[in-house]
Amino acid sequence: MPVIKVNNRSVHIQEFNKGARETVLLVHGMFSNLSVYYFNIAPILAQHFHVLMYDMKSHGMSEKCPDGYDLDSMSDDLFDLMNAMHLKSVYLAGYSFGGLVALKTAMRYPERVKKLAIIEAPDPNDDETRGIMEIYSKEFLVDYINNYTDTTRMRMGKRQLDKNHKMYEYLFNETSIKADMNNERSFFASPFIDQIPHDTLLIYGKDSNCLSSGRKLYHRIPRSKLVLIEGDHNVPIQQPAETGQRLKDFFTGWQIKIKQINHRLWHALRL
Amino acid sequence: MDAITTQKKLNSEEIFAILKGFITEVIGEEFVEDMDISRESSFTRDLEMDSIEIVSFSEKVKAHFGEHIDFTGWLSGMDLDQLINLTLDHIIKYIESCQSSK
Repeated sequence: MPVIKVNNRSVHIQEFNKGARETVLLVHGMFSNLSVYYFNIAPILAQHFHVLMYDMKSHGMSEKCPDGYDLDSMSDDLFDLMNAMHLKSVYLAGYSFGGLVALKTAMRYPERVKKLAIIEAPDPNDDETRGIMEIYSKEFLVDYINNYTDTTRMRMGKRQLDKNHKMYEYLFNETSIKADMNNERSFFASPFIDQIPHDTLLIYGKDSNCLSSGRKLYHRIPRSKLVLIEGDHNVPIQQPAETGQRLKDFFTGWQIKIKQINHRLWHALRL
Repeated sequence: MDAITTQKKLNSEEIFAILKGFITEVIGEEFVEDMDISRESSFTRDLEMDSIEIVSFSEKVKAHFGEHIDFTGWLSGMDLDQLINLTLDHIIKYIESCQSSK
């Protein structure tokens, strides 16, 4: 299991196609881990890019941490990881809460991001996300998982339920995650969102309850494009091939154009 | 165990024993004790492994069998239903087919 030390903390990473010149960095969502990309989306991107995935603090196989779940701290984690991996700039994609982390990183460190892709990032002011944290209980988790398993067809047994329950209990009761998320309520009101300079791809599920957040971002980010895929908030799990392909096409877009221009120039010079 | 790259051809029983060892390392001996791990065991239904555990298992398979197999590439060709229904036997057969095509 590849684990590196970033700021003295263990971070679980996975990489594909290490030899490639350019890197796509993938950020997973809250209560999830890098496996959301590992099996289908990352291999598609690895056809062209070096792909780096990591587990956020207290998620997956990364080290637990009692604080620093606000978007500044989470984007600092990403920035520090890039430095630890000697990555000057990357194509950056984030899903759900990871989409907010990617957005914040692009706002704070624009020179380190070549292009930005945001999948199903929610408006932190929506009551639903914060409601989950307020009313959390094991019964709630069972309901939540039943809904998740309905839409993704993934099943969860007793061991997994206990494992997830432990993670939720730790995050909700022993970390600052609730307060940190609450403090991000006005994130979408930030004027810096209107100044994001990057080409930005927004991917949302047609039936997602986050779709209105996608539309808000589309109207705010100057160079953005909104793409809707069949599915709900779980689109990367429901439609991994299409999600991966959309990301790959977006990230390789300019390279293909430059290749085409070079090709035409080369032909013109020969004539 | 997972740092050694296997050079010699293994039969299916030997591959099964290696994979069983990986599963024990990933989910822990205390859980494996209560399980009857067979070649027909599926990762999600029978072994109750979640996706990050399957990532960990995949890494061990890749580290052990090395360049002779493209395990991630093989998995990435599967849709969600195939991944959910993946059994140890499927993996054993895949590794055997890679060994015989060397």
